Amino acid sequence: MVYIMFMFLFGLVLGLAAVASNPSPYFAALGLVAVAGMGCGVLVGHGGSFLSLVLFLIYLGGMLVVFAYSAALAAEPYPEGWGSWPVLGVMMAYMVGVCAAAGLFWGGWYEGAWVSADEFAEFSVFRGDIGGVALMYSVGGGVLVMGAWVLLLTLFVVLELTRGLSRGALRAV
Amino acid sequence: MNPYILAILLFGLGLGTTITFASSHWLLAWMGLEMNTLAIIPLMAQHHHPRAVEATTKYFLTQAAAAATLLFASITNAWLTGQWEIQQITHPLPTTMITLALALKIGLAPLHAWLPEVLQGLDLTTGLILSTWQKLAPFALILQIQPSNSTTLIILGLASTLIGGWGGLNQTQLRKILAYSSIAHLGWMILVLQFSPSITLLTLLTYFIMTFSTFLVFKLNKSTNINTLATSWAKAPALTALTPLILLSLGGLPPLTGFMPKWLILQELTKQGLAPTATLAALSALLSLYFYLRLSYAMALTISPNNLTGTTPWRLPSTQLTYPLATSTAMTICLLPLTPAISALLTP
Repeated sequence: MVYIMFMFLFGLVLGLAAVASNPSPYFAALGLVAVAGMGCGVLVGHGGSFLSLVLFLIYLGGMLVVFAYSAALAAEPYPEGWGSWPVLGVMMAYMVGVCAAAGLFWGGWYEGAWVSADEFAEFSVFRGDIGGVALMYSVGGGVLVMGAWVLLLTLFVVLELTRGLSRGALRAV
Repeated sequence: MNPYILAILLFGLGLGTTITFASSHWLLAWMGLEMNTLAIIPLMAQHHHPRAVEATTKYFLTQAAAAATLLFASITNAWLTGQWEIQQITHPLPTTMITLALALKIGLAPLHAWLPEVLQGLDLTTGLILSTWQKLAPFALILQIQPSNSTTLIILGLASTLIGGWGGLNQTQLRKILAYSSIAHLGWMILVLQFSPSITLLTLLTYFIMTFSTFLVFKLNKSTNINTLATSWAKAPALTALTPLILLSLGGLPPLTGFMPKWLILQELTKQGLAPTATLAALSALLSLYFYLRLSYAMALTISPNNLTGTTPWRLPSTQLTYPLATSTAMTICLLPLTPAISALLTP
């Protein structure tokens, strides 16, 4: 268990460095996928299985896919990945920084559940994440409406920004 | 812009600030700030030239980074103390992060670099919204946090007044001058925050009135640099005579309204035993005063060389409403005697 958690965390930091090392959007989107996937694994290891599944579905499967398509639309003839020296150089610098930080903060391994749970003998279990979702749809209805309004606003903002095809501010590729 | 879209965006702007004002939970406050950022983006890019799009992009990146830092700080606080209340943050690490995030949001030095460039790429109306309305929501949060580190706030304040003064000295573009003026005024607001938040609120409100007048004067003259301002005497002579008073009010000279916040701030700083800080702030106001004086000089105190045909431009009726400008000009010039009433009104 410790080994697989270590692999997930390693993959997370590696993907983080891959995104931050400024490659082409193709490879940066790949790095984001790696980070999100590994992050979900870390979450599972700490007990947040429902949250991890939801994150995988909505973030990876919804938003990141859309982002990857958009990145694919902004195609470059010579995409720069780890094969080109500028990107690899920044990547190496980040790895050195990570090793330095690891050396500084070494020690201790946190193993515990991040999700609180409440039991009523053998009758019911209330988990923090699932119960939270239930509360969001019942008591937290107002914030849900506000969240839906903000999403609609974002839609209008994006549509307004991309209005006009070739005459607009953001030209169609 | 399509009026329906404009209505939705302005509604989003209003709702965002209202949500931040009404919230006691950090998540809701963050939502309001993000709504403000989102709603103003198309307004900034509505004239689709590359400069406006560049300004929009810079604004979006800085505001998103600030909002992400704010969210991170509030989650850190929730992790460390279990508290989500805005007024109950006592741990120094989240407090400092929140202060810096909000400083980036409003454009305090040394996190000010985006403000002149963003303001320069916008038309005057959107610039006005950026300078006034978009500062309200972050200030609502700034006024509520309990500052942990006295030195951070004083450094932010003094750096802002000095950079606002020195940065504006070399400018000929009016929007950049107003950006540096904004930075300087925000510095004054932050200086006194930990001693008397009501004086901060008073400074914010008087700054709003003064900068509202200034933006509208420039809009009426359709001028964006000092050279065009020099011909305003032929377009609106009465306004040209009054504008030096507006600018000197921005500079903080008695007996105009702009003196009120500076007076109260210097008094409060001296009472708290920070006389050298007060002196340094007062001296930095001289730098800002110089470029306000330069604007007054170009506008009203000299008539620039011009050919004869340029001296009498077409005096067409302006489509711009002048009533708001009239009201705010009167408030910019004549509100100083009401100092006791205003400070009593703003003290809880």
